[in-house]
Amino acid sequence: MVPPAHPRSASTATGTAARSAVPVPTPTARLLLSRFTAGPTPSLAHAVAGGREQRWFARQLKPASVPDPAGEQIEEWWPDLARTPLDLWMRQSDGTRQGWQVMNDYGSWVLTRRLRSSRQVLETMTAFFENLLYVPVSGDPYFTWRVDYGRTIRARALGRYSDLLAAAVLHPAMLVYLNAATSTKTAPNENLGRELLELHTVGVGNYSEDDVKDSARILTGWCVDVYQTWQKFYVPEYHSTGRVRVRGFTSTNRDADGRAVCAAYLRYLARHPDTAQRLATRLVEVFVSDDVPRGLVDRLARTYLDHDTAIAPVLLELVGSRPFRASAGAKLRTPEEDVVATYRALDIEVLPPLAADSATVAMLNSTGALGWRFASNSRPDGAPVANTAWASTARALGSLDLHWNLANRYYPVTDVSYRDPASWVPSFPITYGDLVDHLCRSVLTRRSTAELLQIAVTATGIAAETVIPDASHPAVTGIGRTLAALLDTPEHWYR
Amino acid sequence: MSADPTPTGCGCPEGNLLTSAATVADGGLSRRGVLRGALLGGTALTVGSAVVTAAPIAAAATQSAPWTLVVLSMRGAADGLSLVVPHGDPVYYSARPRVAIPKDRLLVADAMFGLHPALAPLQSMWQQGKLAAVHAAGLPAPNRSHFAAIEAVEDAAPGSSTRSGWLNRLLGTDAYTSPLQGVAVGTSPFALAAGAQPSLTVASVNAVRVAGASAVSTSDPRIASLARAWDADDLMGRGLRTAVTAVADYGAVRAAKDTTSSYPATSLGRALALVSRSIRADVGSSVVTVDHGNWDMHTDLGTVAGGWMTNQAGQFAAAVSAFFADLGSWASRVTLVTVSEFGRRTVENADHGLDHGWGSVMFLAGAGVNGGRYYGRWPGLTATGDADLPVTTDYRSVLAEVIGTRTSASLATVFPGFTPQAVGVMRR
Repeated sequence: MVPPAHPRSASTATGTAARSAVPVPTPTARLLLSRFTAGPTPSLAHAVAGGREQRWFARQLKPASVPDPAGEQIEEWWPDLARTPLDLWMRQSDGTRQGWQVMNDYGSWVLTRRLRSSRQVLETMTAFFENLLYVPVSGDPYFTWRVDYGRTIRARALGRYSDLLAAAVLHPAMLVYLNAATSTKTAPNENLGRELLELHTVGVGNYSEDDVKDSARILTGWCVDVYQTWQKFYVPEYHSTGRVRVRGFTSTNRDADGRAVCAAYLRYLARHPDTAQRLATRLVEVFVSDDVPRGLVDRLARTYLDHDTAIAPVLLELVGSRPFRASAGAKLRTPEEDVVATYRALDIEVLPPLAADSATVAMLNSTGALGWRFASNSRPDGAPVANTAWASTARALGSLDLHWNLANRYYPVTDVSYRDPASWVPSFPITYGDLVDHLCRSVLTRRSTAELLQIAVTATGIAAETVIPDASHPAVTGIGRTLAALLDTPEHWYR
Repeated sequence: MSADPTPTGCGCPEGNLLTSAATVADGGLSRRGVLRGALLGGTALTVGSAVVTAAPIAAAATQSAPWTLVVLSMRGAADGLSLVVPHGDPVYYSARPRVAIPKDRLLVADAMFGLHPALAPLQSMWQQGKLAAVHAAGLPAPNRSHFAAIEAVEDAAPGSSTRSGWLNRLLGTDAYTSPLQGVAVGTSPFALAAGAQPSLTVASVNAVRVAGASAVSTSDPRIASLARAWDADDLMGRGLRTAVTAVADYGAVRAAKDTTSSYPATSLGRALALVSRSIRADVGSSVVTVDHGNWDMHTDLGTVAGGWMTNQAGQFAAAVSAFFADLGSWASRVTLVTVSEFGRRTVENADHGLDHGWGSVMFLAGAGVNGGRYYGRWPGLTATGDADLPVTTDYRSVLAEVIGTRTSASLATVFPGFTPQAVGVMRR
């Protein structure tokens, strides 16, 4: 898709003493931040100032090296997320707390991590892999394991895909969700065996129906004691022995304990060139553009295989590529991305949730209002990544609603802290044009342009040269109108 | 799903700012016309800070639809053999020792088929000749990927290089271009949206508004600002302009009676209540899509006594029955057809479930349907190999018959390169 092409000239700030001191990133740095964080901010602009964006990115790829007090702080906010599957199940069974409530906690926790964490690239890649290796939150048999599943992915999201794949596919949440947990040799359930090939590895068109059948057989033996202890275990009597063949993988599979065959099969799939192609294509679709340059995919796939499925080298290759550098504004923010980016742009602080209408819950609900509630769809292919999925009328009106309510501090109002209107003004007196420039820097991490200024002037009816003497001026008391106008530009909707 | 977290409606609390806002000197043009021209990309010119179109504007923005096609998508691949049971095929009972529906429980049975007893709410429509089923229908070749299959079903243009859906192409066969011509109920517009024709995606009537605008007109500063920000021909710009135009056209739907309370309290019930409201508002909604999820029954299908399939089929039947009852005389222009990406295997698996198969069943209800009968050529079930129900009726033949009898649309445009076979399910 073609990014919005406004003929926007250089800054047109009208020149009073009240110049904005908020730093803006270079276009190259902004692009990197737009794609690999939940939304650029002035503090990130400061962190990458002076051409330090590549160094920042390299450090982000080693998340343990990035202190994250703001991310760690929220670990205590939702105590049920630390409970065991059995505990969660017993509490649902005795009516103490329902699974969907715990899963709302989980969704709130994930979105709040994206909002606050200093490990932005880790959160971005966790989101990427939670969507690729998708297990929804909605469903009795697997909600018990869903929190642990997310943590399992987060711990490996910047490691090797081979490790991630094995941990995810054989995780109790996935085994239960796609029915491998109760599949036996009698008549193997093909659900996980198929999606492992179609979604998690080689991709549609690259396997036969016989491959699916043997893929399902290889996975037999794994069990989860659903509705009882919830423990995962292996039952050799359930494993389908005898020769298996999937693509180039073969095994005599004589041993009733099929775990070694299964592990070898997953290692094989992770290193398959078709898996490399599929993963590379998906990375390009999410982080570059919907028009996928085949040359870039081939390069990324080769890097992936050359580095034994390590993810970080592939990302470094991606962000250094020419198609990436030429892709500013090519991706439309998804519902989740829009919600979190808007909270970040407005510098909204969410507070520990004490009520049913807390801001953290409102964030989660907003993802649904925009068209895709976080991890709630039952389809195993997760949320679409192409722009075409997110340009609907429902999305348009949903985003306009979200931006308007947040910019004007109308909703949410519980467990949330908004900036005071006057805090958006660097100093008084200031012309409206200079104020718009300051807000563009703060909210859109870019300087104002003639076009952006006119959009704000149209929204408020305040002329650019109007001098604002103090905080009682309508430009300040009604600053939400200007903020919403800036949020409702392609500069914020696209990344 | 989530509660709607937006208490402010179309409030415009900053009235003091409005006094200095730009207004459109609209001369002989209606405000709606100005908006339509500006936001839909007519020949636009800038006057002050507002955008005014020079194109001639029709006075009425919406028109009546002579026919409405409701496509209900059973997402997840519905098992046609449970919904319309081939009790006359002995393989059915031998392949499904635990989940088969006993013959003596079937409704409106003939020598070969009968309906699942959970479809009882639809029995009277069947007996009145308003409901029919076409069995062994589906894609011309097996495609067991949910995602690739549903895309193929929605595109219905194999070999075409550009992605466009048959529903969108159907919308393009007349001159009407209000976004209300096509309505996707829910938040996922995929089936309708693929193509050039604008359409509305809607989850609730209350969500069809522009927050912060006191009027949907370029005299409103919020709308004028949006018009300025989204004047480029990019994907989201088109979506946003379509959305604002839809809000402007939506008054009649808002004014139509909300009959949700006469439907079962299910997501499908609520969705069909919204469809009914759109039809009764008479705003030209000729193509409507509704998703009914949760048909992917790999495990625990249940039995006739209860369980997943019985609940799911019951939900479907109760909502569709309520829909036609609610429509009343409007039903004479409404045809509902069901599609699913594929059917399921004949042989049950170890989990009392059914894995991905091929052929399934399509239901047709309402205007023009030659109902009370089972259609399609029965291929005979097998329990070996892939144990599929082979497709003997291409789903496009069924859809082509609906379109050919109910509309004046060109079938060559809607289903390019396809030669339909006669099914007989629609009255000529």
